Amino acid sequence: MRKKLEGNGLWESSRMMLPEHKVAINDHEAALRQRRRVELDEQEWEHVARSVAESLRQRRQIALRMFHPVEELTVIGIIDRIDPLKGRFMVDGEWFLIRDIEGAAPEE
Amino acid sequence: MMEVERRRGAAAPRRVVLLADCQSFYASVEKAERPEYKDKPVVVAGDPERRSGIILAACPIAKQFGVTTAERLGDSLAKCPDLVIIKPRMQLYIDVSMTITRIYQSFTDLVEPYSIDEQFLDVTGSLHLYGTPEALARMIQARIQEELGVYTRFGIAENKILAKTACDNYAKKNDSGIYVLPKEHLRETLWTLPIGKMFMVGSRMTRHFNAMGIDTIGKLAETPLEKLKQLMRRKFGKNSDINAELYWRIANGIDDSPVRPGTHEVAPQSVGHMMTLPRDYARLEEIKVVLLELTELVCQRCRGKGFMGHVVSVGCMGADYDRPSGFSRQMKMADPTNVTNQVYRAAVELLVRHWDGMPVRKVGVSLSQLSADDEYQLSLFDRDREKTMALERATDAIKRKYGDATILRAVSITPAGQAQHRARKIGGHYK
Repeated sequence: MRKKLEGNGLWESSRMMLPEHKVAINDHEAALRQRRRVELDEQEWEHVARSVAESLRQRRQIALRMFHPVEELTVIGIIDRIDPLKGRFMVDGEWFLIRDIEGAAPEE
Repeated sequence: MMEVERRRGAAAPRRVVLLADCQSFYASVEKAERPEYKDKPVVVAGDPERRSGIILAACPIAKQFGVTTAERLGDSLAKCPDLVIIKPRMQLYIDVSMTITRIYQSFTDLVEPYSIDEQFLDVTGSLHLYGTPEALARMIQARIQEELGVYTRFGIAENKILAKTACDNYAKKNDSGIYVLPKEHLRETLWTLPIGKMFMVGSRMTRHFNAMGIDTIGKLAETPLEKLKQLMRRKFGKNSDINAELYWRIANGIDDSPVRPGTHEVAPQSVGHMMTLPRDYARLEEIKVVLLELTELVCQRCRGKGFMGHVVSVGCMGADYDRPSGFSRQMKMADPTNVTNQVYRAAVELLVRHWDGMPVRKVGVSLSQLSADDEYQLSLFDRDREKTMALERATDAIKRKYGDATILRAVSITPAGQAQHRARKIGGHYK
């Protein structure tokens, strides 16, 4: 009962929504949250390539910002392997796609 | 010191909240779709043969004849024999409502649908682009009229309750369809209105307030809260304090609730479906058919959302309004589940135990005490569970893609079955 007086309680307890309408609203909200790929220019790619290569050669920690449709995803670790044929790299035994990289920074 | 004083004294920038309401929504959508009815009195009404022959929406022309929402179709025809009667198309109304949401979202990201035809907009952060709130409202109004042929009205105020109040009591009645209700002017505006005009006050509460000597919204607002609590406690008992505070805040225009776009994503307390039958069901076998169909729908929705339920409730309402019969009982299952057959088994147990044998008009099933379905207790006796779950995942996927009626249980094609019929409906009306 108390909830009516808190937050959005007054409106959440009094509204009339068709379940099908709610589904449509939530689907629409989820679609709005979908992230778009960031296009990197040549210079930025060069920076990413250099950082990745350095991590691989010098066993240095790196933080890579990756594309994910709904989440903020950053891969942190040391690049163990690069597989140019399949366009992927390995950190901690897990493969990631090179084309999903959106930015790189050294991780202290 | 001076600086601090001055900052405290300066008026804090207030929020600007709009409640946008679509006039005669279903009827307006239908008229926009069918220009030949532009100058005719039009109503959208439920199917008469299925006991739902009531007016869902009446266009302004029909209202001039005295036709009102929620009255029986027969009464409307008596007032206006030339009435154009259109069957509801619920999916279309949802689609148009979503299009309107998208239009609102092109002006502000803070949009909260309150019903199919009412939505809140917090435009505080958009005004520097559009000027005054009225100018912005006019712009949105013109755009929706032009793109969808729907007339929208706007209540404008510093919070949601005042915006809603401004819309219901003023914007719906003036020529522009736009009304600004500043909190400082409540004494000359809202407070002069009879108590029955207040949001959340229906005819029953109007009678109660009148009996307490509170006949205007102003009198309610000026009654000290403690006094109001006392008055309401005398009528409704100890538990009425919260409602007293709610009414008091509404009358005073106090509301700090946010316009929350994600408000419809909250995890549900329970998932349930209820259905009014097309005729009275008097045999156990028949009732079991709809019970299974409803259970399937409930479980399907739980599976879609990733929930399992621990408690199943079954309700049946008798057919005879004069001698109310029926029951509503619940039981806890051994383990939480969303497997249709398991829930159905428990539901049938409830039905058999509590049904008094009288003809039934309404049946409902719901699952509550929900938990996430990614972890579950292994059962010693139900070793086929993985297999059943895989089967249900597959049938759910097919239904999602091609519609609920594409895969049915065999009992659903017996005369008692309602699944095929129900798959064509939303909220009890045709899609």
